Amino acid sequence: MSNILFSYDFQVVALGTMILAMSSAVVGCFSVYKGQSLIGDAIGHSTFPGIILAFMFFQSKNPILLTIGAIISGGLAYKIIQLIESNSKIKLDAALAIVLTGFFGFGLALKSYIQGHPQYSNISQSGLKGYIFGVAAFITKADVLIIAIFSIFVLVLVFIFYEELVISTFDKNYAKTIGINNKIIDLILLIMMITLISLGLKSVGAILISSFLLIPCICANQYSKNIKNVLFISMFVGAISSFLGSYFSSAIKGFSTGPMIILFMCFFTIFSMLFGKYGIFKRFIKL
Amino acid sequence: MSVVRIEDLTVAYDDKPVLWDIDLEISSNSITAIVGPNGAGKSTLLKCILNFVKPLSGKVSFFDKPLKNSLDKIAYVPQHSSVNWDFPISVFDVVLMGRYSGIKLFKRINKEEKEKAMNALSEMNLLDLKDRQISELSGGQKQRVFIARALCKQADLLIMDEPLAGVDKTSEKIIMDKMKTLKEEGKTIICVHHDLNTLKQYFDHIVLINRIVVASGKIDEILTKENIEKAYSEVIYE
Repeated sequence: MSNILFSYDFQVVALGTMILAMSSAVVGCFSVYKGQSLIGDAIGHSTFPGIILAFMFFQSKNPILLTIGAIISGGLAYKIIQLIESNSKIKLDAALAIVLTGFFGFGLALKSYIQGHPQYSNISQSGLKGYIFGVAAFITKADVLIIAIFSIFVLVLVFIFYEELVISTFDKNYAKTIGINNKIIDLILLIMMITLISLGLKSVGAILISSFLLIPCICANQYSKNIKNVLFISMFVGAISSFLGSYFSSAIKGFSTGPMIILFMCFFTIFSMLFGKYGIFKRFIKL
Repeated sequence: MSVVRIEDLTVAYDDKPVLWDIDLEISSNSITAIVGPNGAGKSTLLKCILNFVKPLSGKVSFFDKPLKNSLDKIAYVPQHSSVNWDFPISVFDVVLMGRYSGIKLFKRINKEEKEKAMNALSEMNLLDLKDRQISELSGGQKQRVFIARALCKQADLLIMDEPLAGVDKTSEKIIMDKMKTLKEEGKTIICVHHDLNTLKQYFDHIVLINRIVVASGKIDEILTKENIEKAYSEVIYE
């Protein structure tokens, strides 16, 4: 066991995913309470065509260029969801489904188009598939640094706008009467979500990244009815799941890190839904 | 001095006029009921002057200034539809939100602000419930929480949309006794109210509306059988 704990590769992966999970958990809480859980998922999936298009355009796998592609594509998807919701009778869940599958399908189509295409054959495409499910094992020290910097940026934003985020999420109309601009708060939340999603693409992938945002909050919800505690418990759940997920994927050959982390998150959440302070069994006892 | 002045206000939802050419003045230190049948546009009037609903035309001023310059002086208690009940927040923290209006970046809530929140809680008889999560409260208690939040703001003008709807007798008494003391302290209160029987008991001014202003002024002069019939029987604008 100690072999793994002291291995450099494990430490880099564990640190990177833990920091990412903690900052995602905080931002995810606000999007969950805003009723936007699935928007994160739609944005996550929608980053994929952006990655492939950036690769085609720049003929390079430079992570920064690919991330820019991901951000633009994710932001565009969000804008389209908003446009559908406000201009048609289609409900939000249907709009999300259309955009999510449309964008992701487009990404897959592009991916198979460039495979073996002579124009793109001089650069290896081997890493691109990794953005779908993520390959945490490829996280480098530089990636951890980028994750840390942006996570601090996001957490500072949450700290500065904490009251506004809380009031706007709890009671939009009241926020307006005290001069809070809900649109700006929504935009800040969106920027934070897209930032974290893009940071997580390489390690967790487009499909699973939204779980980093959502699951810890749902788990924490089973233990506290106080937003500050919920935020801290979410961070803890995210961090411990990332640590355990990284450990077991290093220890057992063949298990990818991202899915392993999410398995732990889900395990803790289901356990908490059953046995947590506000879990199902506690409610039965009260009755 | 008039606390609220409304001129030529017309509001429509999808081309259907809801309020038609409203002219209204609410005088300082009054306690005014807005009364009218269902669909008369009572809530819309409040939402519109507070800028939740955009009017087709008209001008509204508070304390002789536009809304955005008077936000600190106004507290609004909505019908609670815009609240996210699942949000994990305690009664105390909801009331404390009343103190955030003037607070700018990096300035955190201090002890004095917390005391004001405690006072507001005690005025609404909610001290025992202060650590409860908001969704665990009864309808009347929830309503008192939002009124406590408005009180905590210490605004000069309190605007309430049906504060007594679905509220138990105890809560009703606590709320209306407090309104009386606020008036004695020099504040101005506007309420949408639906119970004609308690109008005289609680209010000194009244605005009768049914898409237009049917009558408005001191309750003794305006609350006549004729005016009530006029507001409730006719559909003034189709």
